[in-house]
Amino acid sequence: MTDLFNPVVANDALRAEIQAISHRGRRARLLRSRIIIALCVIALLIAVIPLAALSWEIIAKGLPVLKASFFTQLPLSPNLALPNQTGGVSNAIIGSLALVFYSSLMSVPVGVLTGIYTAENENRTASAIRLMAQTMAGAPSILMGLFAFALICQQLGFGYSALAGSFALAVLMIPVIVVATEIAVRNVPQSLREAGLALGARPHTVSLKIVLPTALSGIVTGCILAISRAVGEAAPVLFTIGGATLLNWKPADPVSALPISIYIDAKSQWPSLRAMVFGIALVLLFVVFIASFTARFLVGRQQRKS
Amino acid sequence: MTDDLTTKTTTSATSSGVKVAMQLQDVAVSFNGRTAVRDATFNVAANRVTSMIGPSGSGKTTLLRALNRLHDLTPGAKVTGKILLEGVDIYGPNITVTELRTRVGMVFQRPNPFPTMTIYENAVSGLRFNGVKKKSLLDEAAEESLRAAALWESVESRLNVAASNLSGGEQQRLCIARALALKPEVLLMDEPTSALDPIATLRIEELMSTLKQQVTIIIVTHNMQQASRISDDCAFLLMGEDRAGELIEFNTTEKIFNSPIDSRTLDYTLGRFG
Repeated sequence: MTDLFNPVVANDALRAEIQAISHRGRRARLLRSRIIIALCVIALLIAVIPLAALSWEIIAKGLPVLKASFFTQLPLSPNLALPNQTGGVSNAIIGSLALVFYSSLMSVPVGVLTGIYTAENENRTASAIRLMAQTMAGAPSILMGLFAFALICQQLGFGYSALAGSFALAVLMIPVIVVATEIAVRNVPQSLREAGLALGARPHTVSLKIVLPTALSGIVTGCILAISRAVGEAAPVLFTIGGATLLNWKPADPVSALPISIYIDAKSQWPSLRAMVFGIALVLLFVVFIASFTARFLVGRQQRKS
Repeated sequence: MTDDLTTKTTTSATSSGVKVAMQLQDVAVSFNGRTAVRDATFNVAANRVTSMIGPSGSGKTTLLRALNRLHDLTPGAKVTGKILLEGVDIYGPNITVTELRTRVGMVFQRPNPFPTMTIYENAVSGLRFNGVKKKSLLDEAAEESLRAAALWESVESRLNVAASNLSGGEQQRLCIARALALKPEVLLMDEPTSALDPIATLRIEELMSTLKQQVTIIIVTHNMQQASRISDDCAFLLMGEDRAGELIEFNTTEKIFNSPIDSRTLDYTLGRFG
């Protein structure tokens, strides 16, 4: 076959030598290859089994708890007469929604604009902000809680409130959004910016009308990931929101949150309350799954486009 | 190559009677003090196609991008000499860079329609960037420019689909339409067909010969056949010994290809190097 394309024919001795080399140790190579593949499969199972077991446990124990009252009622305390009186977690659902809403309101504009700035500017300020965002993204989330507690609850006198909790979550979300926005904006091809400039657009017009729309799905993805992280965080809200058992949602009100309900119910002496934990976990898992699924879908669409 | 005569043979290709659209006088571009191209002196005749040819590194694209001040945003870039558009220095105080770019349009090497915009939005994007809002004006400009770019027939029924659905050649014609919508006096084309197949290339070349009736075209091309087919005047650039590009010869395309004055031009057009 090679003769067709290559007029220089290897002589027989050379060809025999090449064949000998490829045959030598063929068995050993195949064996090694199979061992590596087996090791990969084992590693995969080690990683997947706990995850599958966890999901199964949460779904199996969580589904029975998810009745209409779970979503609509306030929590009740079981007593000796009514050991199964648990009520629902409507307060935590509303509280989590309020927290996500307020924290997004604070973090999305700040994070996106900062990300655009660091992506479009190459100076000391930008690199300092970038370093800060990267450091903050790795900081323990309980620090955000402490910071919000000291600043909003105590210093500014708001006490336990949705505002304090969402501030803590916002501080947690901002670096995630900054980094995601910066990557999305940097991925916008330079040729599109030049095309805009060559049409007489001013630089800020280029940023707003060309770069931002092109980077939008990446930015939205970053925001969704930040939100899905914030919704499951317990540490930042643990000592900032107060854990109210009322349907509170206003910024100055103390509220509850799903992770906090898990924390409280899991410590309960009542088996019925401890069973509730799986329901709440299932709801959280579902929210995070939907969020990351949407994010993946958006990323996929963006990649297909470019 | 012994004296100035041979190194800067810039005959006035534009004999009397032809209107001059742009004048380049001793134009040089440098990046952080390193000269990329220099000695560019020639007149661009109005309603003709002027090509810039030369091997890689000879500064063709760099020179082209000086003509609509696209180097302005590159830190360390410096343009010296004079570039006149209808007699006005484009780096002077009497002209703003955004106004200049609406008068000197540009088509890039790879088709770069705005991916988030529809065909219609792409066609009128330049007008919108510059503040035109009136729907009737935009509709009119969209049709006119898409017709001028020989694209109207094939996209008329799908103006509101994403521009990314078009083929490469159609995308490039959309980019031409986008530039034409601003009614520029000069259209700069930076190897506009290098990413296209031969048929799409042919269509763009045909388009250029009709377009020059309404707009002056300056095209950078690697393809010598293309330059000889489509251009009226031709600038030949070459990388000098210090790795800076310089203008070797400027003349009518016919003379550059048939009876060049500089021996290096002859060598290049005959394919002896480059």
